[in-house]
Amino acid sequence: MPLVPDWFRPVAEYMLREGLPETLRLAAIALVASTAIGLVLGTLMTIRFFPLRWLIRFYVEVWRGLPILVTVLFIYWLPAFDVGTFHVQLNAYMSAALALSLWGSAQVAEATRGAVQSIPKEQHEAAAALGFGWIGRHRFVILPQALRRLLPPMVGLLVNIIQNTTIAFAIGVNEFLQAGQRQFENITSGFAGPTAPSYAPFMIFGFVMLVFFVMSFPLTRLSAYLERRLV
Amino acid sequence: MFDRSVHILASFEWSFIWDTRGAFWDGFKNTMKAGVVGILLAYVVGLVLGAVRAHRIPGLNQLAATYVEVIRNTPILVQIFFLFYGLPVLGVHLEAFTVAWLSITIWGAAFMTENFRAGFEAVPARLREAGYALGFTPLKAFLNVTLPIGGRIALPSTINTSISVLKNTSLLLLIGYPELTYVANSIQSNTFRVFETFTALAVYYLAIVWTLSALIRFLEARLALPEAL
Repeated sequence: MPLVPDWFRPVAEYMLREGLPETLRLAAIALVASTAIGLVLGTLMTIRFFPLRWLIRFYVEVWRGLPILVTVLFIYWLPAFDVGTFHVQLNAYMSAALALSLWGSAQVAEATRGAVQSIPKEQHEAAAALGFGWIGRHRFVILPQALRRLLPPMVGLLVNIIQNTTIAFAIGVNEFLQAGQRQFENITSGFAGPTAPSYAPFMIFGFVMLVFFVMSFPLTRLSAYLERRLV
Repeated sequence: MFDRSVHILASFEWSFIWDTRGAFWDGFKNTMKAGVVGILLAYVVGLVLGAVRAHRIPGLNQLAATYVEVIRNTPILVQIFFLFYGLPVLGVHLEAFTVAWLSITIWGAAFMTENFRAGFEAVPARLREAGYALGFTPLKAFLNVTLPIGGRIALPSTINTSISVLKNTSLLLLIGYPELTYVANSIQSNTFRVFETFTALAVYYLAIVWTLSALIRFLEARLALPEAL
């Protein structure tokens, strides 16, 4: 018996060729957007002007509190709307990316707030004494130090983002899980020639688990390592 | 843009929220049924495996560690599908509810294991040794010393995991378990009142999640260990 059954080879090839890049692209977009928005919001959460602080706090608590699936469905089913002169109609892919970014930016903001607040007050005062304004102080003194403490949770967030891209399955984005599911339906429907053996679901969804594990496990280890080294 | 948002607000049908309360209540009960069973079982399994991990019981420790790593490093949605499509092959009678509580238990227990392990390991060894000196057996020492103190340390993070478990019940929509999100999705597709339906759904979820978060903050304040320890 060959190591890989005949029926499984095209299935795996389709998943890796069509599904995996979509998953990675989605994760990359969400990671970049979450980091950019989260760092700014998280830093702003440490200022003294409380209406803005509460506003950001509300943003963070809403997107962290909602299940991502709910955010995904909400955005996806919203009818098209206009922002200024732009007519906005989000497709499934953009809805998933937006929902993941909203959730991710809330996570990053909360982590950033903690990291910025953990920098000793003297650093702020010393930077102020050198003539830095609020922006220069944070840009050149506080954030570079905070980023070091942020690195382990950021790697952990990347793992979560990669895993949560599977939620885009719900609105039909052809990410890795969706690709596996389509192939599973394909071979069990009998249209694809030889019928699949009964253990097919274990093999296909086991393969999905394996690939996600291979992507996530080194990152989880890295996060734990950085935690020990940097904090 | 202004016109449009005014339009959405003006056409917001408040009575719709009231009219759908029955359906949402059914969904809420189903969410809670799966969620509560899942959380309770996750606590039990996590506590036992956490103790196994913290005490480095040979063999079992490695098994528990493997289980935790596999679950933490794969998406829960894939785990749900693995069970949902895999169990029938094994000849296990399939019901959405069974897969529902089973999958979130398996996921939650892995995180609970880590929570409890961290809590138990944070208990200073000298306290346990003091227990042994008083003549406690290892099990007695665990039940009377490590568990009360370590459990207290672990409590806030276990509630955090419980919140995640509850939020994950929303994924059960995809295997046809009629919980809150499932209900909202079917109301939405029958009435096309997207904005009202999902706003109501979001409010319901936030009410649950924020209540539990408040509970964490309350417990953290109440159960903070004295510095002297």
